[in-house]
Amino acid sequence: MGKKRKHSETAAVAVPKKDEAAPERPARTLLGWKDKSEVNGDDSQVKDVELDDSPIFRNKEKVLVTCSRRINFRYRHLMLNVVSLLPHCKKDNKVESKESKGATLNELVELKNCSSCLFFECRKGKDLYLWMAKCPNGPSVKFLVSAVHTMEELKLTGNHLKGSRPILTFSTNFEKDAHWRLLKEMLLQIFETPKDHRKAKPFHDHVFVFSIADDHIWFRNYQIDVPHNETDKLPRGGLEQMNLVEVGPRFCLNPIKIFGGSFGGPTLYANPFYVSPNQVRALEKRKKSGKYAKKIKAKTRRKMHEMSNPLEPDEFADMWKE
Amino acid sequence: MEEHLVNDDTTIGGEAEDFNEEMSASESESDEDVKLTEPSKTAVYNRDALLDKLGDISWPENVGWIHTLSIDIDQEQEVDVNDDLTRELAFYNQAFEGTKQAYQKLQSMGLPFLRPPDYYAEMVKTDNHMQKVKGRVLAEKRKMEEAEERRKAREAKRLAKEIQAQKMKERAKQKKQDIESVKKWRKQRQQSGFADNSNDADLGFDFEDGKSFERSKGKRPGVSPGDRSGRKGMKKQNTADTTYDVKGFNKGEGKGNKKRKR
Repeated sequence: MGKKRKHSETAAVAVPKKDEAAPERPARTLLGWKDKSEVNGDDSQVKDVELDDSPIFRNKEKVLVTCSRRINFRYRHLMLNVVSLLPHCKKDNKVESKESKGATLNELVELKNCSSCLFFECRKGKDLYLWMAKCPNGPSVKFLVSAVHTMEELKLTGNHLKGSRPILTFSTNFEKDAHWRLLKEMLLQIFETPKDHRKAKPFHDHVFVFSIADDHIWFRNYQIDVPHNETDKLPRGGLEQMNLVEVGPRFCLNPIKIFGGSFGGPTLYANPFYVSPNQVRALEKRKKSGKYAKKIKAKTRRKMHEMSNPLEPDEFADMWKE
Repeated sequence: MEEHLVNDDTTIGGEAEDFNEEMSASESESDEDVKLTEPSKTAVYNRDALLDKLGDISWPENVGWIHTLSIDIDQEQEVDVNDDLTRELAFYNQAFEGTKQAYQKLQSMGLPFLRPPDYYAEMVKTDNHMQKVKGRVLAEKRKMEEAEERRKAREAKRLAKEIQAQKMKERAKQKKQDIESVKKWRKQRQQSGFADNSNDADLGFDFEDGKSFERSKGKRPGVSPGDRSGRKGMKKQNTADTTYDVKGFNKGEGKGNKKRKR
């Protein structure tokens, strides 16, 4: 089942850089992937499924969420939180981490009929790496996850409907460079609940925040809390009293590498500033070990210095000797 | 000092290259995340391929906003990631702006935005959990209030003590003054040789309240006059009725040794 939704018509609308690639792609008129050149902002008509005449875009995104074995409790809770945030995901069993996990995961995704995958890989019980991949032949990204706070923390007091569609906000930093744009597109497709998903609730009561700071992607999830006591669905005038309460989870992603294929393939981007946690730990140990070596050196230096500059004989040395 | 280190991250699948990273001698800052101070020379950045892939996966351009529900917010200034408060504030502002814009868009589309108060459905955190959260919030509030109260009580006590000290000083001064005035009056009298009568002598006094010198008659304030439970001196013991009362002289059973345990 091809996932290429690119239509030759949309190539003309798209960025001119893609023009040279456009003629190579065959025009696809598969079920559900027709382009939407005629649909306007009024989406109430999208609900009826007319495949031949009015082109419809249907988001059939399905995310497979798995983790590796020997995952930490905190990261497992993070994974479960993510599962509860995305109603269009499928949680699967743990994956053995030793063999070539690329092939295994690709097969698994294919088996479960999913279009993307979130793989939480925990190494040494300390470092969490998150793989985000579009399958079967889309790009994949490996992130290092840090600053994890799960939803169970009592300081994160918000709550929202399970399955309501989130509002995604991206900071404009995402438009600055090619790799950020690719990441933005992937985040958008994975984290946004499809519109007519059967588990989706019709109201919007939470917001996701993706922003870039210090070359990291920070994620926050807030509940929209507007005090309204009218029973009609559109509260009027209450927006000034809107208050955002954090629901969680919280994490910070550091992109390591972007690959052209799913869990493999040519490296399209490698973060030049990335230092792996192993190296960080090794550095610290080396710094500590350096203390002893320095002490030894200082001792020998002192000895040499003493030998080269002998002290004058002390006049009072045997004053107290009897 | 240059070190060539093999990249520790395991690479998967078709990738069989080993990357050597050169690290400069000076490494920087934070404990969780260390960044190289100069970019590694072997970093790959294939912009064309990236954009190619982007074109591959992206949804058609004219997909309605209702599908993506994404809003781009301008982040005005650089956020310092180590300053927690400003960082969180920046994220909060981004979310706030985004929600406002989304609300306007949704309203113009005529779609429901917020959950009506009578819509009950499964929430992402269980009720039990929310109870715990509420408990914690209440406990914190109570702690703060108690701390406030304790502080206020301390302040009040300090103030009260000061006032008390002042009052005591005042009273002592007054007492001294009174004694002084009596001494003076006596001296005056001595000097004038006790020639004046008691009528004139009263004029020499300097009383504030104008009353003559009084002493309370054994009345205690707050105790009613019919209360007989005073000191032993207040009780009449040997009266006419008790002469013939010989109860106390008979040998009482078991009344002898008080020390024997009963």
